[in-house]
Amino acid sequence: MLEIRNLCAEVEGKPILRGIDLTIRDGEVHVLMGPNGSGKSTLCHVLVGNPKYAVTGGSATFNGKDLLALPPEHRSYEGLFMSFQTPTEIPGVSMTNFLRAAVNARRKYRGEEPLGASEFLQLLREKRKLVGLDAHFMSRGVNEGFSGGERKRNEIFQMAVLAPTFSILDETDSGLDVDALRTVAEGFNALRTPRTSAMVVTHYQRMLDYLRPDFVHVLMEGRIVRSGDASLGYAIEERGFDWIRDEAATAQPEPQP
Amino acid sequence: MTDPLKQYLDLYRAEHSRIAAGSCPAMNAHRDAALRQLEAHGLPTRRTEEYKYTAVRDALAPDYGLNIARLPLAADPHKLYHCSLPNIGARTCYIINDTVGPVPTAGSEDAIRVVPFAKADEEMRGFIGKYYHSTVQSYDALASLNTLLAQEGLLVLIPKGHRAVQPLQLVCFADAKADLMANRRLLVVAEEGAEATLLICEHASSSAHYLTTQVTELVLGERARVELCSVEETGSNCTRFHNIYADLAAGAALKLNSVTLTCGHSRQTTEVRLAAPEASVEANGAVTAAAEEHADHNILVRHDAGDCRSTLRYKYVLDGNATGAFAGKVYVAPGAQRSHSEQTNANLCVSPTAHAFSQPMLEIYADDVKCNHGSTVGKLDETALFYMRQRGIPEAEARLLLQHAFVNDVLRHIQPESLRQRLSLLVEKRFRGELRRCDGCRMYGGTATNAPTPPEP
Ligand SMILES: Nc1ncnc2c1ncn2[C@@H]1O[C@H](COP(=O)(O)OP(=O)(O)OP(=O)(O)O)[C@@H](O)[C@H]1O
Ligand SMILES: [Mg+2]
Repeated sequence: MLEIRNLCAEVEGKPILRGIDLTIRDGEVHVLMGPNGSGKSTLCHVLVGNPKYAVTGGSATFNGKDLLALPPEHRSYEGLFMSFQTPTEIPGVSMTNFLRAAVNARRKYRGEEPLGASEFLQLLREKRKLVGLDAHFMSRGVNEGFSGGERKRNEIFQMAVLAPTFSILDETDSGLDVDALRTVAEGFNALRTPRTSAMVVTHYQRMLDYLRPDFVHVLMEGRIVRSGDASLGYAIEERGFDWIRDEAATAQPEPQP
Repeated sequence: MTDPLKQYLDLYRAEHSRIAAGSCPAMNAHRDAALRQLEAHGLPTRRTEEYKYTAVRDALAPDYGLNIARLPLAADPHKLYHCSLPNIGARTCYIINDTVGPVPTAGSEDAIRVVPFAKADEEMRGFIGKYYHSTVQSYDALASLNTLLAQEGLLVLIPKGHRAVQPLQLVCFADAKADLMANRRLLVVAEEGAEATLLICEHASSSAHYLTTQVTELVLGERARVELCSVEETGSNCTRFHNIYADLAAGAALKLNSVTLTCGHSRQTTEVRLAAPEASVEANGAVTAAAEEHADHNILVRHDAGDCRSTLRYKYVLDGNATGAFAGKVYVAPGAQRSHSEQTNANLCVSPTAHAFSQPMLEIYADDVKCNHGSTVGKLDETALFYMRQRGIPEAEARLLLQHAFVNDVLRHIQPESLRQRLSLLVEKRFRGELRRCDGCRMYGGTATNAPTPPEP
């Protein structure tokens, strides 16, 4: 599904990603862990095409297509979705109008007619239930005055509405209370199919418990320094990152500048 | 360069008897004073503080014709002109250039009197004379020019205690075959306890250049409530100077809504005098301008008595090479204690070549007041744009949603709901470049939707 090769990127002239290699196949869930500032969010943003981040090398192929050549909206139509670490507030643009625009743009891309008003409302109703988001949020501005947890819940709600094939969750678990985390994780699991995949950034074991990822990768200073199965995640929860940093330093010495 | 004012003064001196003959005594009574003022003070220059952003001399320089002979309308304007805000009002009156069309008779519920000045001056002895020009407190060259040359006017009288249910709509069209100057005058008198909503739609279907001076005077008696909404949808060959003067008695409430959808060169000068305690004014302005459009609002609110309240909200979305100017001044007179004023002006420049000038001011001579003001000039929120694009909303659509939301934040204060919805839709159409084009206008469309749309079938 997704093949990332030697991906390098910078933000405001500062190199952040220094050669990412990662392959994610259909149906797989990969968890990305790593210390603060190691480049996890940067990788997420680069994959969905945030113009703030400049790709300086490498490639990303999504279902055979050159992902990096596509504008963000086309990546979305191709099936990419990102749950933002800090979802943006868009005052005055109601959730309903926002999602109608998103849903119908996607349908237009596929050569389908816009969704009828009642079908659309039905879709929203159904997906709201999945993540437990109250109806009144639909008439509010996008994330306008939403609490931190409500915003995260709203991200997964949007994911449910847009039905992506590849989801990127950037710390969706942070800011959720225990019950909300369960609802959101269960909602996410309900949306999983053998043809959908995900890359999930998290700092917490609880997310590993819910998602049972196929792989866990550790990102440090813009590189994946270690990959393994879920047990790697639990080891990090227990021991932190230092041991990985030490091992990485001996196994793969930094290239000389 | 000769003074562009000269041709107007010369015209008046040569034609004053014909001008007077086509007008009514109440209007004629003020012409000589206006002439003397213009002779004494002249036109503003770029150095005149109040006209810093609008070049009056350039606007008045061309040679325009006037309808001094008062040629009547060729046909019934109700059949000839299409307003983009249909069926909002219970009654619709047309003003073509500066000629008032037939006034429809009122329904039994509707006690509002809509009378051309000439008729009012005959039927209601002394009424026009009592109020005409009564609200114009300070010298303004455009108002004086209007007083000098205007020949027709319309009186809207909301009698004591009458509460109008449906709005009164004035549909104004600029329609000139040759370059024309039109000078229009409106007088709105809301007597004690009267309530009404007025909608003024300003359209253009002019193939020639059109210069208009417009003076709207509002006199609100005690506890009168008036909501005046003026919508501008003109074109690049229109130069419009609209001066609004309002005097409010105790407990009166005025709401002034102004929506500029499209314009050429537009300047609105507003002076509101809160003359007695507990009067209040709320002014909501929304401007969408693109291409070479120029929209300038200059507003002065005088708190001459204590316990009054003023709220000013103006929002501009500027695209292309458009210029938006806002200067708001709230003046609190000595002793006007417990004055309450809020003033905001926010500008969204969606193209790098658009210009916004913002100047909110306070001049306070009382100590127990609560007044604040704020102004912002910004660009579209890139983070929000990206968030929307990630969800699949095309960039052009995302920009449109953000701009529309920005303007809706002002429109939400406009009543009635049917008008608000209609205005919001027109703003959206305008951003999409789908607004019905005025014939002969060279405009339009924002940067996102630059392709010209075909004329409506
Ligand atoms: N817009 C930006 N401008 C400047 N620096 C940035 C910007 N975005 C990210 N960075 C820098 O890039 C580095 C990587 O940031 P990134 O957000 O990818 O980290 P992260 O791994 O997601 O961290 P966290 O766990 O705290 O979310 C950090 O040093 C950060 O300060
Ligand atoms: Mg992050």
